[in-house]
Amino acid sequence: MADLRHDIETALYREAHLLDSGEFNAWYELFLPEAIYWVPAGSGDYDPNEHVSIIHDDMTMLKKRIDRLYSGHAYAQIPASRTHRAITNVEVEDEGDGVVNVRCVMMLVELARHRQTLYPARVTYRLHRAGDNWRIGYKKVSLLMSDEPLPAAAFLF
Amino acid sequence: MTGDDTETDLTRPIEQLIRRGAIHRDVYCDPAVFDREMTHIFDRTWVFLAHESEIPSPGDYKTTTIGRHPVIVNRNDEGEIGAFINRCRHRGPTVCRNELGNAKFFRCPYHAWTYNNAGELVGVPMPQGYGADFDKSRLGLVHVARVASYAGFIFGSMSAHGPTLEDHLGGVRKFLDAYVATSPTGEIGVYKGYQKCVYSGNWKFQLENGVDPYHVGALHASAVTPEALAIYRQGKGAVIAMDGHGVTDHTDWGPMPVDASLSGGFNLVIFPNLIVLRSQIRTVRPIAVDRTEIITSVVKLKGVDEAVNLQRMRDQEFEFGAAGTFFADDLDIFERTQQGLNSSAVDWLEFSRGLDREEMRNGYMHGFMSDETQHRGMYANWMAMMTAATPGIAEAAE
Repeated sequence: MADLRHDIETALYREAHLLDSGEFNAWYELFLPEAIYWVPAGSGDYDPNEHVSIIHDDMTMLKKRIDRLYSGHAYAQIPASRTHRAITNVEVEDEGDGVVNVRCVMMLVELARHRQTLYPARVTYRLHRAGDNWRIGYKKVSLLMSDEPLPAAAFLF
Repeated sequence: MTGDDTETDLTRPIEQLIRRGAIHRDVYCDPAVFDREMTHIFDRTWVFLAHESEIPSPGDYKTTTIGRHPVIVNRNDEGEIGAFINRCRHRGPTVCRNELGNAKFFRCPYHAWTYNNAGELVGVPMPQGYGADFDKSRLGLVHVARVASYAGFIFGSMSAHGPTLEDHLGGVRKFLDAYVATSPTGEIGVYKGYQKCVYSGNWKFQLENGVDPYHVGALHASAVTPEALAIYRQGKGAVIAMDGHGVTDHTDWGPMPVDASLSGGFNLVIFPNLIVLRSQIRTVRPIAVDRTEIITSVVKLKGVDEAVNLQRMRDQEFEFGAAGTFFADDLDIFERTQQGLNSSAVDWLEFSRGLDREEMRNGYMHGFMSDETQHRGMYANWMAMMTAATPGIAEAAE
């Protein structure tokens, strides 16, 4: 279990690094084709088909979202937000067959428009082992501010 | 002119803030102008509160605002819609701080004064401490002076006087009728939850932007499809100054599409705080001269396949909200606009586009699709409200 936990933490840090360094296409490659990237609006303990979300992307949508950021015309992201994210309080539940459910706390700090904005979040994942790596089958980012009015947030959580 | 206190603080007289085809930066930057907007516009005219489907059952309530006033809009036990100032008549705390819910009573936590869902004060602890002239019937929650609905959209007016809601909406009524008629059963509802956004900029940037086809091909170059952009580039359709509200009418391409795609239909900006377009009902909340919140409901159509409604919501989430591929760039440009206007080196903004080619049709000034006729109409309305004598706010429920 200690090794599994270490593996998962390493995977989460790697994902955080890709996002913080703007390597969005490499980040996208972490996801399985049927994955969902979800940022709920409000508590998040709801069916996203019955309630509005901040983001609810399948992989086609996420690819479009990322391509737009590289288009040169995504003006809210020119210059791109700079982000640092600390991943902590990692809990791992092994489902077996190479699938784990992960809960962690993310402290995301965004610098944009000369302002620092703190986005604390509880993040849950379903991760699938793929050789030495882990692929994301599901990522849900439950922002502490999920029900508050948010400023432009075109970066990736 | 009314000679009230705020007027003396104005950097420049209201009448001098708009001229033909141009608007002065003080309209967006002067805190005294904002104060006057709260008293002369939001305390007076019809302000959008909720869609009826947000509070469908007796006892259902939603908390919102009218300008600076916290407001509860609800249904009483008989299902009748009312609206009250969310403020205890004793010492003043809000009596409700949930966003949505169902209540037979609103009880202030401070000293437990209790009101029923018709706003009547029904309970005061230890009433023997009050004198003989203490009259609970005069201490109910203060009613918003007038509450009325049109096509399921609930509005409130802090003033007992002035045009009826129907007169206020004027020609926009037929567009609201058409919006609701997108549903095969003629009924719309909203999904649970809201997209909530905030920007450091003036509230009127959002009103202009809700009916501004000119910006779509530029600001939204990264998000708009070539097919949708053709609508804005081909010159069909019209922008309309309609009874003080703004309309962009693309019905030349077809009626409001069931899939809410950017094709036919129209955008409505119903002055001063409601935007209706595609699958969304947007409420504009002015917080300060340079701070605004946008609260958006996603519309579902009764009588259409659930998959169609769900795709409408997925598209709405993708494109709008704080992370939206369209709306993040709008929120950002509103902040940049405020930053630019904060410079007093340049006084005037250009609003002259289409002045020489607009024309009256069916009683309303129409401009070409990329023109600013609709903005000039809204600001003429703004000026009329800002320079009119303001009826007082209703003091208490009688």
